[in-house]
Amino acid sequence: MKRFFKKYHLEILLILPLALYIFYFTLIPILQTIKMGFTNPITGNLSLENYRYLLEREDFRKAFVNTFIISILGLIMQLAAGLILALMLKKEFKTKGIFRAIILTPMGVPTLVSGVALLYIFDTQGYFNELLYRITECLKYIGLIANTYRFVPIDWASGGIRTILMIAFGDMWKVTPIVTLLLLAGLESIPLDVYEAAQIDGASKWQTFKNITLPLLKPSITMAVILRSVDLFRIFELPMILAGKTVPVLATYAFEEYRVYNNPNISGAVSTILLVIIMIFVLLYLKYVDKGEGLA
Amino acid sequence: MMSSVKKDRLGKIIDASFFPLLIFFSLIMLIPVYILVKVSISQPVDVLTQHPTFLIRNFTWDHWIKVLTSGKLWPAFRKSFTVATLTAIFAIIIATPASYVISRLPKKVKYVVILGLFFTRMFPNVGIALPIAVKFLKWNLMDTYIGLVLAHLIEQLPFITWILVGTFEVIPVDLEKSAMIDGASRLRALMSIVIPNAAPGIAVATLFVWLNSWNEFTYALYLSLSENTLPLQVYYYVNRGGFFQTATYATILTIPVAVVTYALQRYLKSDYLGGAIK
Repeated sequence: MKRFFKKYHLEILLILPLALYIFYFTLIPILQTIKMGFTNPITGNLSLENYRYLLEREDFRKAFVNTFIISILGLIMQLAAGLILALMLKKEFKTKGIFRAIILTPMGVPTLVSGVALLYIFDTQGYFNELLYRITECLKYIGLIANTYRFVPIDWASGGIRTILMIAFGDMWKVTPIVTLLLLAGLESIPLDVYEAAQIDGASKWQTFKNITLPLLKPSITMAVILRSVDLFRIFELPMILAGKTVPVLATYAFEEYRVYNNPNISGAVSTILLVIIMIFVLLYLKYVDKGEGLA
Repeated sequence: MMSSVKKDRLGKIIDASFFPLLIFFSLIMLIPVYILVKVSISQPVDVLTQHPTFLIRNFTWDHWIKVLTSGKLWPAFRKSFTVATLTAIFAIIIATPASYVISRLPKKVKYVVILGLFFTRMFPNVGIALPIAVKFLKWNLMDTYIGLVLAHLIEQLPFITWILVGTFEVIPVDLEKSAMIDGASRLRALMSIVIPNAAPGIAVATLFVWLNSWNEFTYALYLSLSENTLPLQVYYYVNRGGFFQTATYATILTIPVAVVTYALQRYLKSDYLGGAIK
């Protein structure tokens, strides 16, 4: 033991500040929150009271379901968009640099600001409704449809699946560049001769994609799924800005219980539930979809 | 050989739709930013109507002038700027030596350490911010710069450590060893050989940390009672329904982020996004 410290004293000294910081400001708070979730706010004893309270709350159940739908829907949308863009950017063409820069634009926009921009677009009197209106007007002019005013304008923030779609789109807009870069790095690491061999054998694009690109891209996809799902389950800023109270997700619900209703113990319980969901999702993905290949 | 004779119809469709699709995606990426800036320089008649215009019809600097002279921008700006700068400095001081050590660990141990760092990311921010807020209330750190810096470091330290472990990993161990053979102490070898070699990576990482802290919303929301950071100021106007102030503040918040991101584009590799877990 003594020899160990003597041999590695410099290493220990260099890593100590980081270790202490994470211990004191991350690990202890996490444990405190979990404990808070199991503490009865009145008596101070350990109990399941907070969880019982949550199960009876309509808001919480809604938040739970919303979080799930947003996460799964968002994950599918982001991976699809990211994969398409990565496949496009892998090709060589003249104006590639410009398009690459344009597609990375959302990375230069804070999440909060992307929420604000989408607020203008999906407002009842917003730009998306105006676009829909103009399209329907055009269609009416050509004579394809008779009446337009029944479904335009749409109130996107009124709750339900529309608002969920809006939030999922907002998150997709913001993170597609990240997913694209992750998948692009994976694509670029696939050796070219594999493709050449496939070409000689006369494989079609779809066959090449299904039998070569997708399997070889699996580690990158796993990386993207795990990083994104963790962030999607914890999503906070966008629902806060875009939907206010109509579509709570677990994170905004936890905030509200603390700040508005002054129930830190309930908030702690919600955070704990969220952590458990995230961990279960990541583990299930690794076990059944990826089978541990991606992170090896 | 059937398939080579058979026409690859899907391939043809893909080739034909390549540029239209690329332009479609590009528009989607650009339009929200355009709308944001457009609202901040439009007169109400173009925006607050049943049918907003897509082009900038009535240009005006009114909202910008109002925001710049209101006296509410600069305190928030100063707070965000100071906190981001201090966070970046502390992050670099704490994380650089630690990530050097981690990068030189045996492969298996390194993997465990990095997974451990990733685990801290799995816990929801609202869960960590909660006991921190309770603690800081007791310590009188609400609304203070140092409180926010301490909170921002929670997220930024694991982030920057990931990036820096990747940076140090690619610097060959032999470089230090040869310096040590020449008589340099280990600390000396670290300071005069390793750190200068890692300097570009450290600089980029610092900028990203600065940006993350500049944008940070959740901890600021929990730890601010009266004095807003710039993101909170944006949120404040969203809640108040100040259409044009929101757009203007949001644009101001975006400017440094956009500038740095475009300038550092070539460093935006997946290493920096995914950390060292590949």
